[in-house]
Amino acid sequence: MSDTITMKEKNIQQVSAAQKTMQILVKFFTYAFLILMALIVLFPFYWMIISSLKTLAEYRLNVPTFFPQQIMFSNYAEAFTTASLGQLFYNTMIVGVVSTLLSLVITVLSAFAFARLEFKGRDTMFGLLLATMMIPGELFTITNYATVTQLGWMNTYRVLIIPFLVSVFYIYLLRQNFMQIPNELYLAAKVDGTSDLKYLWKVMVPLSLPTLISITILKMMGSWNSYIWPRLVANDEAHRMITNGLRNAFTETSGDVNYPVQMAAVALVSAPLFLVFVFLRKYIMAGVSRSGIKG
Amino acid sequence: MVDSKQQWKAWLYLAPAIVLLLVFTVWPIINTVRMSLLENYSGLQATAGAQFQFGLGNFLKVVRYRQFTQCLKNTCILCFLTVPISTILALLIAVALNSIKFLQKGLQTIFFLPYVTNSIAIGMVFAAMFNIVGSFYGTENELIVTAGIINNVIEFFGGTHINWINYGSSYAANIFVMVVYIVWNALPFKILVLLGGLQGINKQYYEAAKVDGTPRRRVFTKITVPLLSPMLAYVVITGFIGGFKEYTSIVGIFGETMGPPDAAKRLNTMVGFIYDSLSSNSQGRASAAALILFAIILVVTLINNQVSKKRVHY
Amino acid sequence: MKKRTVAIMLLATMLLGMLAACGGKKNPENQAGNFTVPEGGYDGSAVEITFYNTMGSNLSTVLDAYIAEFNKLYPNIKVNYTSVGSYDDCRDQIATEITVGNQPNVAYCYPDHVALYNMAHVVATLDDLISSKETVTRADGTTETLGLTDEQIADFIEGYYNEGKQFGDGLMYSMPFSKSTEVLYYNKTFFDANNISVPTTWDELEAVCAQIKAIDPNSIPLGYDSEANWFITMTEQYGSPYTSATGDHYLFDNDQNKEFVKKFNEWYNKGYLTTQTLYGAYTSGLFTSLTGVRSYMSIGSSAGATHQRPAANADGTYPFEVGIATIPQVDPSKPKVISQGPSVCIFQKSNPQEVIASWLFVKFLTTNVDFQAEFGMASGYVPVLKSVAENEAYANFINSADGGNFVAALSAKVCLEQEEAYYTSPAFNGSSEARSQVGSLLTKCLVLTSDVDAQIDAAFADAIAECEYAS
Repeated sequence: MSDTITMKEKNIQQVSAAQKTMQILVKFFTYAFLILMALIVLFPFYWMIISSLKTLAEYRLNVPTFFPQQIMFSNYAEAFTTASLGQLFYNTMIVGVVSTLLSLVITVLSAFAFARLEFKGRDTMFGLLLATMMIPGELFTITNYATVTQLGWMNTYRVLIIPFLVSVFYIYLLRQNFMQIPNELYLAAKVDGTSDLKYLWKVMVPLSLPTLISITILKMMGSWNSYIWPRLVANDEAHRMITNGLRNAFTETSGDVNYPVQMAAVALVSAPLFLVFVFLRKYIMAGVSRSGIKG
Repeated sequence: MVDSKQQWKAWLYLAPAIVLLLVFTVWPIINTVRMSLLENYSGLQATAGAQFQFGLGNFLKVVRYRQFTQCLKNTCILCFLTVPISTILALLIAVALNSIKFLQKGLQTIFFLPYVTNSIAIGMVFAAMFNIVGSFYGTENELIVTAGIINNVIEFFGGTHINWINYGSSYAANIFVMVVYIVWNALPFKILVLLGGLQGINKQYYEAAKVDGTPRRRVFTKITVPLLSPMLAYVVITGFIGGFKEYTSIVGIFGETMGPPDAAKRLNTMVGFIYDSLSSNSQGRASAAALILFAIILVVTLINNQVSKKRVHY
Repeated sequence: MKKRTVAIMLLATMLLGMLAACGGKKNPENQAGNFTVPEGGYDGSAVEITFYNTMGSNLSTVLDAYIAEFNKLYPNIKVNYTSVGSYDDCRDQIATEITVGNQPNVAYCYPDHVALYNMAHVVATLDDLISSKETVTRADGTTETLGLTDEQIADFIEGYYNEGKQFGDGLMYSMPFSKSTEVLYYNKTFFDANNISVPTTWDELEAVCAQIKAIDPNSIPLGYDSEANWFITMTEQYGSPYTSATGDHYLFDNDQNKEFVKKFNEWYNKGYLTTQTLYGAYTSGLFTSLTGVRSYMSIGSSAGATHQRPAANADGTYPFEVGIATIPQVDPSKPKVISQGPSVCIFQKSNPQEVIASWLFVKFLTTNVDFQAEFGMASGYVPVLKSVAENEAYANFINSADGGNFVAALSAKVCLEQEEAYYTSPAFNGSSEARSQVGSLLTKCLVLTSDVDAQIDAAFADAIAECEYAS
């Protein structure tokens, strides 16, 4: 009797040992896969950084070097002064922050209407909105340019902020998220007499915080990287955006660019976004942990 | 069912979005249609007061263009290769990230990094990685100064270098490079969305599966994928829409020639075609091409929606 | 629901179509872009003009100084300038601005750009301004004639000045601002050591390539940066048709052109040469390389001389001396070299005083010897005036020319010595397409190895078809 019991225990132990090996293997491959992918993702950044530290001559070598022979931190100083990054950062921050805030408000309201409110033609309209996403944006530029000129918005912060406040893309993203929140919560709130706006603010916004933060990042990124539109409508010193400033500062008449300095400038410009991202990531985590609804 | 109070409230909430969209999206679309229907419309000539006949000439000219089918083919090939590959890779990475604790945050940050960079710089880096600097490939005089890091790796493992993007390179090699670059670019957004979705899945499902001793693969196909399906559908649909608008990534690798030097424009896409027309100030033709592209994307999206209606679990 | 969406869209499309039909009827306006100087010339009124250029910060400093000089003479003319990125950026931005009547007053331009802007008839013709005898009083009490004097016109390097008249109607649309061309860079140290003489014709070049190949079989003797320039320059040197500003635009599909393309294909297959696109980078990289595969000649922009110089040794000397010469010719007695670099054009405005003020500013910069000298030294471009050679600072600069530290001066010196040789191609809407097509045509044909004749024929036909589609 006792023998059979020990046999069984042994079996169980063996099974769990096999399972453990299996688990370790899975962990190993998971990490190996992730680290390999991470290296692939990282390579271009590594390249950007080392290029920004090279001399122009070394950068132009036929056989690229993987570590700068002579580290040129001076490229960074040169980048900062030639592009007068200070003013550019300031302009871009104003446009980025204001347009992100306004855009969030508009997106939340619209997504709520599409996700929770019932009104005639809702689906048709949503379908139409999605369809606009499919039109290549280049064609908008021509007409929008005429519009803002007629409105007299040239060379203002307005012209950089207002035309792109509404993004069908963000509305779609947030609506999907709102749809996942059980309708029962909304109906219960209605029974309690909670107003729509209060419900929106107290329940839906916190529950979709990760999406909202994603939108914030995307929008900030957009302001940071926008190029064609600002160049066209606000290319004066007082409103010039960072990417335009960069491009302008590094185009010489001979068409020959000091790439290492340009790379340094790109790295400098990327740094704040990177910091914002690292900072906001914690909020994404927090938002995720809060979103546990008992289903 | 639909009470009138909800009606006006809904419109009130939508008002700011609608006003802005009317001015900055709907009007440009109307104007696009107008320009596409005026024969050989050119903005500059219009400024000078030229008149244009009403007709479908722009559409005919676009469709009859000798490279039109090539543009369409490239666009479709890139789309149907990159969307599935990037979605599956992103899903694997997101699931893997979600399953680990140690290093999770660090790796997560790394995978989102491509968001915070300038596409000009990254395009330059990719081109340098695949570019062979030298001359006379494939001839007896072959001289290679540097074969690029990718070929160096291939040679390290005993292979022979491949002509990826230089002249004489094959269409398949070109497409391969484009797929790698586009997938690299598309990954962060997809990982971001999918990981967000994964972290929103109730842990109880997994605990239940654990108690039942469900194998890993079944957990993945029966719990993870179905519960993630809204996010997956979203990622696929936006992936297709973006894929059909592919252009800058090709310029990033091949430059304005849109192909290796001996086959310029070989990789041209629909949007590339629109840009070409715009640069010669043929807005009529550009508008017509844009509307054709729009129609194609619309059809693909409708098909996608039909498929996802059957598959997506909300 | 989806069906309804599609139906609504179709309906909307049809409605818009009708709208479009109505919108298409516009009253024809005055077609002539020709500018006529009003009675009295510049009336001294306060105007503000904008100048679009592509200058980097080092050059805008020079510009600032001369705008200040200009304002001493004309304090009422306020000049704002913007650097708008590359030449293409400049063109695209102005083309968009024209559609809303918001174009600048003065802009850097290439002939192709002017042809594009001219579709809207907005580029002011300069003929009436140049020939104007109106007298303008300046702030310091002195006077000047509004137009150009005969001496001033004669002082311009002729090829540069004539670029403004390449538009098929004989009218003047732009003024040369600062120019560059292509020159032959060669490794003087190597040439001297091996007793090789610098080629002046293409036949000599072929022989030199063979000679170099014999000495260093691992080399590619010649690197040519711009395939398009090469093709166009060859048509000019042979006198064979390329394009025309009027009538049938695209004329480059002819036997003479096929012949030189075929010859270069043979050279390529012998390993004599490479180009920027084929090599995968600027060929100066090959020229300045000291080990492995290298070249001993490089044809590239005269403004890029410093990039054709090898990296300096630790003691400040250079591993080899750079020589610069006129590019090889078909007929050295009638040399032809391409004229590149920015010109400036003036845009029509409703207030003619703005146009006149713009002209005064353009005239000031293009005829001012000191500005041309200083700008030339700062940019690596060549001044457009002959008399700049007499400017003391510039003369010193030219005299310092050598194949090392002062290679930029050497390049400028060569450019100035070949002042008779500059040509420009006709400009029309589509001339930039022709340029890019012949560039890729030549590249494509160089690498052919089998069935060469038929493939060359096909490549020419393709290029013509593409050009005609684009126009």
